[in-house]
Amino acid sequence: MKKYFLGLCGLVLLAVSSCRKVDDSSVFGQSPDQRINETLAKYQAQLSGAQYGWKGIVATNEGGNFTFYFSFNDSNRVKMLSSFDSVSATVLKESSFRLKALQQPSLLFDTYSYIHQLADPNPAVNGGEAGVGLGADFEYWFNGAESSADTIVLMGTINRTKTKLIRATQQERDDFLNGELAGGLAINKILNYYKRFVVNGTDSTDAFIFSRGSYIIRPDDNGNLLDDSRGVTYTLKLGGLEFSEPIVVGTKTISELSNVNYDVATNTITATGDGQPVKISGVVTPIKVDMAAPARWWNFAFDAGSYWITEQGFHINGVDDAHGLANIPGYFGFSIFWPQYGVSGGVNYDLLAPITPNAAGAAAIRFGAAYRPPVFSADGRVTFPLLGTLGTANIPASATGIFGNLRSQMAIPQGYYLVQIDDDEAAPAYHMVSAADGLAWVTWVY
Amino acid sequence: MKFIKSGFTIIAASLLLLNCTKEEPLPPLDDISGLGGDTWVPTAIDKWIYDSLTKPYNISIKYKWELGEVDLNRTLVPPREEQIIPVLTAIKKVWIDTYLSEAGPLFLKNIAPKFFILVGSPAYNGDGSIKLGTAEGGRKVVLYDINNFRVKGMPGYNPNTDTAGVLEQFHTIQHEFAHILDQNVRVPIAFSSSSANSYTSDWLNVTDEDAKNNGFISPYGNSSRDEDWAEMVGFQLVSGRGYFDGYVNSIDPANVSETGITGAQAQQRLRSKEATVVQYFDQAWNIDFRQLQTKTRDAINSILY
Repeated sequence: MKKYFLGLCGLVLLAVSSCRKVDDSSVFGQSPDQRINETLAKYQAQLSGAQYGWKGIVATNEGGNFTFYFSFNDSNRVKMLSSFDSVSATVLKESSFRLKALQQPSLLFDTYSYIHQLADPNPAVNGGEAGVGLGADFEYWFNGAESSADTIVLMGTINRTKTKLIRATQQERDDFLNGELAGGLAINKILNYYKRFVVNGTDSTDAFIFSRGSYIIRPDDNGNLLDDSRGVTYTLKLGGLEFSEPIVVGTKTISELSNVNYDVATNTITATGDGQPVKISGVVTPIKVDMAAPARWWNFAFDAGSYWITEQGFHINGVDDAHGLANIPGYFGFSIFWPQYGVSGGVNYDLLAPITPNAAGAAAIRFGAAYRPPVFSADGRVTFPLLGTLGTANIPASATGIFGNLRSQMAIPQGYYLVQIDDDEAAPAYHMVSAADGLAWVTWVY
Repeated sequence: MKFIKSGFTIIAASLLLLNCTKEEPLPPLDDISGLGGDTWVPTAIDKWIYDSLTKPYNISIKYKWELGEVDLNRTLVPPREEQIIPVLTAIKKVWIDTYLSEAGPLFLKNIAPKFFILVGSPAYNGDGSIKLGTAEGGRKVVLYDINNFRVKGMPGYNPNTDTAGVLEQFHTIQHEFAHILDQNVRVPIAFSSSSANSYTSDWLNVTDEDAKNNGFISPYGNSSRDEDWAEMVGFQLVSGRGYFDGYVNSIDPANVSETGITGAQAQQRLRSKEATVVQYFDQAWNIDFRQLQTKTRDAINSILY
């Protein structure tokens, strides 16, 4: 009985307390929906309120950083410029954007513009990997913690890249609209393998620029590109470019280039680097040649009884796959160089062959160019005297021109320098650079 | 005991009363962000889509980027704005207008997929191939590679290099629409009975020649009954009757394929599937397939050449 009574008292107490009026005003004073709408409106006002627009540093995972100019309005339209190429740097393009409450307040560039060129999975657009692009974003969430009135930090939702918008000044806006973002693109005008940087007319270094990734690297003491610490990335900015860390030129260092001008007649760039005059010119013979590299390269495949592979063949005058190997019917996407592939008329010949399908559709050596044993010269070059053609009857009619150009390019009398770019013991890699003009090279991987 | 029991009842009743005394008004309804879909200031493109496709045919087009509408595992980009109207005009001419004249507006309003999602780039598969279109549940079609779609009158159009891609895109739409027809009125089993033992999921390793010698219009058609159907409809509409006859006649009847199918069998397979297509369109939808085929082909010729 007593137990029942106690239980009843408890129930009554509970009932009374459950009816107590609770203060239900939220901690924030407003509902989540009110707050998200307010936040989106605040960002919209900030974006379109910048009188002279925004300067953007857009990061990619595979292609370095790009400089952008953005001008947002309040009706979902944005105009932009980008340092991607000479068109994007000079011609304003308009597209749309919208702010949206996703997991976070977000900014979506929702129709195609320059920012999508970086993310495009089509290799023809940006030279990135098929299906991947340069690993860039065009859908971002606002990183409020790192942002301020003049800086907006955006985080990519897919590739997690970080993009920064900085309120532009009137001067910067004018410079952007005058096309000065294209200035630094002059760095791509020199098509030689080696660019020689000369500072103050005294200090010099050679450098190679990887077209993808905006990566520039100086040869090591042996003349090879094996020392990553000598590599820096660069980002184009108004009127020039800046390096991720200062690049060493003799006793000098330069952290940025401005007033960049290219002179066609002399194939030379003049610029100002940290207040000093800088001259960049295309060279054929580098300051340092690895004399042993050609024989080391040839013997590596010979000793293994195997071959070197190139996917794109020769890069010539700034054009990848200049001979159009990809257009050979059935091309399997690579060609090989096989030291001492066979014997003909008593000559042990090397074979350069695009890989094409045999009757069963499998990858095969159906035809190729045969060269006499290579000649290694005392100044570090190698030449490949042409012997003849193997399997002439198997060359597809539409590919005779392509193959003919490849065959004679390999046999140029001046030969090639070899530059090692990977010292992996099992899978080294080399650039083979034309000693005739420095404008043609091929990448060999094992 | 009895007394206590009734006391309990009374107290319990009072508890209920206590609980019910206060009635709180609902909090004011908020403006929920994004409720009812995204909004933006409409442009000429939005108006064109509404007037040309949404209002007359119940078809909505999503061309602005929306991650939730596409495959999260793939890298894709939205289409260029200047492509939208020319691409949709071409699609309307080749696909909507032809079905409209053969089957009437009610058919399209009912059956046509309700959502088209436009994507700028192709969708790259892990095996290196690319996808140009997908369809889901008879409602939604995703069209890829819109940025490379060029027809007569568009800047940079080159009939030598651009027609293949455009034909493939039309083929994709007809292919997906054939799936949707099949999903609404099932294609008779007779369609695939003759080819049933040759379907293989390993279709990427089937060459064009193998597919032909086995009695399929394409390697993809060799993959399953459903794809065989969609490919048969797609190729016949987009490439025309002349192409199909030429394709069938190019098979050597004496040939024996690697899987043991004779050329005569392959021809018979293709002809029997062709007949089922014509019969199905007539019986299921009251559409004269031959006329639809001619009109589709004429429309394609008019925009490409």
